[in-house]
Amino acid sequence: MSKIEDVKALVEAGKSKKIAAAVQEALDAGDKAQDILDAMVASMSVVGDKFSAGEIFVPEMLIAAKSMSKGVEVLKPVMAGDTSNSLGTCIMGTVAGDLHDIGKNLVVMMLESAGFDMVDLGVDVAAEKFVQAVKDNDNVVLVACSGLLTTTMPALKEAVKTVKAAFPDMKVIVGGAPVTPEYAAEIGADGYAPDAGSAAVKAKELVA
Amino acid sequence: MLTIKENLKEVMTGGKPDRFVKQYEFLQMIMSVPSGRVKPVMGEEVVNEWGVTIRWPEGQIAAFPVHDAEHILLKDVTEWKEYVKAPSLVRPEGAWDQAIADVKATDRDNKYIGVFYAPGLFEMTHYLMGMENALMSFYEEPEAMHELIDYLTQYEMDYAKEMVDHLHPDAILHHDDWGSQISTFLSPAMFEEFFLESYKKIYGFYKANGVELIVHHSDSFAATLVPNMIEMGVDIWQGVMNTNNIPEMIKQYGGKITFMGGIHSGIIDHPDWSQEQIAAEVKRTCEENGKLYFIPSSCQGLPGSSFPGVYEATDVEIDKMTKKLF
Repeated sequence: MSKIEDVKALVEAGKSKKIAAAVQEALDAGDKAQDILDAMVASMSVVGDKFSAGEIFVPEMLIAAKSMSKGVEVLKPVMAGDTSNSLGTCIMGTVAGDLHDIGKNLVVMMLESAGFDMVDLGVDVAAEKFVQAVKDNDNVVLVACSGLLTTTMPALKEAVKTVKAAFPDMKVIVGGAPVTPEYAAEIGADGYAPDAGSAAVKAKELVA
Repeated sequence: MLTIKENLKEVMTGGKPDRFVKQYEFLQMIMSVPSGRVKPVMGEEVVNEWGVTIRWPEGQIAAFPVHDAEHILLKDVTEWKEYVKAPSLVRPEGAWDQAIADVKATDRDNKYIGVFYAPGLFEMTHYLMGMENALMSFYEEPEAMHELIDYLTQYEMDYAKEMVDHLHPDAILHHDDWGSQISTFLSPAMFEEFFLESYKKIYGFYKANGVELIVHHSDSFAATLVPNMIEMGVDIWQGVMNTNNIPEMIKQYGGKITFMGGIHSGIIDHPDWSQEQIAAEVKRTCEENGKLYFIPSSCQGLPGSSFPGVYEATDVEIDKMTKKLF
């Protein structure tokens, strides 16, 4: 197995303690940093698909994302200054009144793995904060809003409305247990995803 | 007409019930137990009896543990012995009096004396260290996780002994959410490895001490864990969401376990609820799931609803379905 294949396998298996050494070995063997990164992104895409299909569960996805993150740390100094890989910046948060962060964190990990620069606003995020974050950050191409409670669905609507009022062309994606594609369309969101794996696919589609 | 208890037994044994069981009607929950739980009221933040910070945001329907860097109790599970200290179970004289009086006042012909326990073992792991940390630790630090779960199990056993000694309950309503709406948090194999034996021990203790009904609440998908539930001694899985294929589960496991739920709280229990919405949801679930091994109920973890009137309105609609289908 080539070094780069090792890296891929380690990301998919979530071997976070072994990944840094494997990435370094691949670099030492002459593999390009970009190719190694692409291989890890491809692995995470496989992980996302398996999660969406119910073949793996949240822990497997978390440790895969952690492994990728540790691998990227090794690549960062080599790729410093190269922004050609970035799909742009995505602002993400759980909407006002809602403290749920697991789904939101999974989406942050998956979008980061897919190539977005993520700005995580955390939980209980007021609609205006999303707008402010778009203003405060460079190259924002996507806003992602999460809500888990039926009682915070109005806050989700408010967040989409406020972002769209300030930035009519900004793409907005929403998700969370009570959200349906119909509801997403009704409140003016550009995209909806039922889980973190699909969110990465949808987000890439929206900014393509 | 059968008593409430007789009717429930007919449902659970595949006999001849004369009506639907109405949600929690068979349980008299004794909530005056001196549990020692420290919980916030709406708008408040507290540090609970384990040292976990719990916050209930204004205007929301529930409280949540807080796991930012400032508040998280356990950052590294390998250090659990340093940070996780079980609360004392010693209570002052007279602390159990109200609960004992509530037991005595119960109509035991119709009601099972129910005691309550939450959060369960899985929930405790993420209460203590946050969901992501907990879930990754099952892979990265399995030995420490086993040790921590053993420690939490022992606390539950000690707590169970107190309840059994003081109240001689007939039923336990035990909370531990094992999944989201569409999946379990852990794979069935991982769930079995970490939780099956502990729950066999806990539920086995209750059964060995006169508790007839083990009611486990998990308002989630958990169809793939039903064989484990049966093995650990669960009699009624409460909170069964209709994201599980309930008719199929009844076909496969009826007689070994009863499913309580099928009414989606998200559909019926919201600020703009209506009797018509509830009627349609109750009709659907009763018609889909039938009369045996099934109890129509919202997925709430206790009798009641988030918005006033919903629970009672649901009972009314279950009565209507009884008239229609029995």
